[in-house]
Amino acid sequence: MKFIITLILGFCFGSILIYSQAYSWYRIQEMFHFESFHMFGLLFSAIGTSALALFILKKFGIKSVSGKEIEVKPKPAQLKANIAGGLIFGIGWSISGACSAPVYVLVGMHWQIGLFLLAGALLGTIVYGVVESKIPH
Amino acid sequence: MKEPLAWYIAGPLIGLIVPALLILREKQFGISSSYRYILSFIPTKISYFNYHREQDQWQLHFAIGLVLSALAATQLFGFSDAITIDKLSPNKYEIVAQSIYDVKNALQFFIGGILVGFGARYANGCTAGHCIMGVSQFALSSILATIAFFVGGLIGSLLIVPAIY
Repeated sequence: MKFIITLILGFCFGSILIYSQAYSWYRIQEMFHFESFHMFGLLFSAIGTSALALFILKKFGIKSVSGKEIEVKPKPAQLKANIAGGLIFGIGWSISGACSAPVYVLVGMHWQIGLFLLAGALLGTIVYGVVESKIPH
Repeated sequence: MKEPLAWYIAGPLIGLIVPALLILREKQFGISSSYRYILSFIPTKISYFNYHREQDQWQLHFAIGLVLSALAATQLFGFSDAITIDKLSPNKYEIVAQSIYDVKNALQFFIGGILVGFGARYANGCTAGHCIMGVSQFALSSILATIAFFVGGLIGSLLIVPAIY
């Protein structure tokens, strides 16, 4: 049951990325060239909606479907890692036109390219796993 | 390519995934830990992949939903992304507009994928976990990472991509 719910949420997320074209290499280039407000509007309104939702969840003490308190933990600040990793991620995002979720969308949409993207992302993750203890965080 | 679904509809819908995941699954929105989860099945001595992977299992299920959404859009609902974005400059991009997802560009996507995979783990999150989930919590780590994503993106898009084409 949990599997199905998660799958459906992923399906919804993917469909929004597809029909808003946020998965598209072109929309990403367009964003970084400041040619259109589309992607900025999309990101800002997603953040705003999420922030409002988190506020409401907290304010009214809304519990999860299984009756548990909803805990939201911010990711710990690791200044060097957040910045250096972020820069590397950003370069990858712009040249592949895909961040982590669109990688999976492209596996389903253009598998010939999507599988190269996924293989790259997995290899990058392996490299991180190998060097993790040797790089500054 | 047709006009995209308007940002003021798509953005809030993406934002609503956050409370939906919290209420239905008690999970914080994110996707890039799915890569670590997948790799944890390969027997290895790398300690990073020997971890309590159950915590990330749901992200693989989430990822399967993403793949299925693309299959449904293209195979069932006739979605096509033959794109000509005429506003996009420099004009060079129009030349490649029909063929960016061609296999001849595989190396570009492979290298981009490596940087995405490495960077997401190093930064401890991606556009989902940091930009959307983290910034909406006003987390310092996520605000810094988001700024870095955009600086990196500008470097890639304005300097590296034009050098490829």
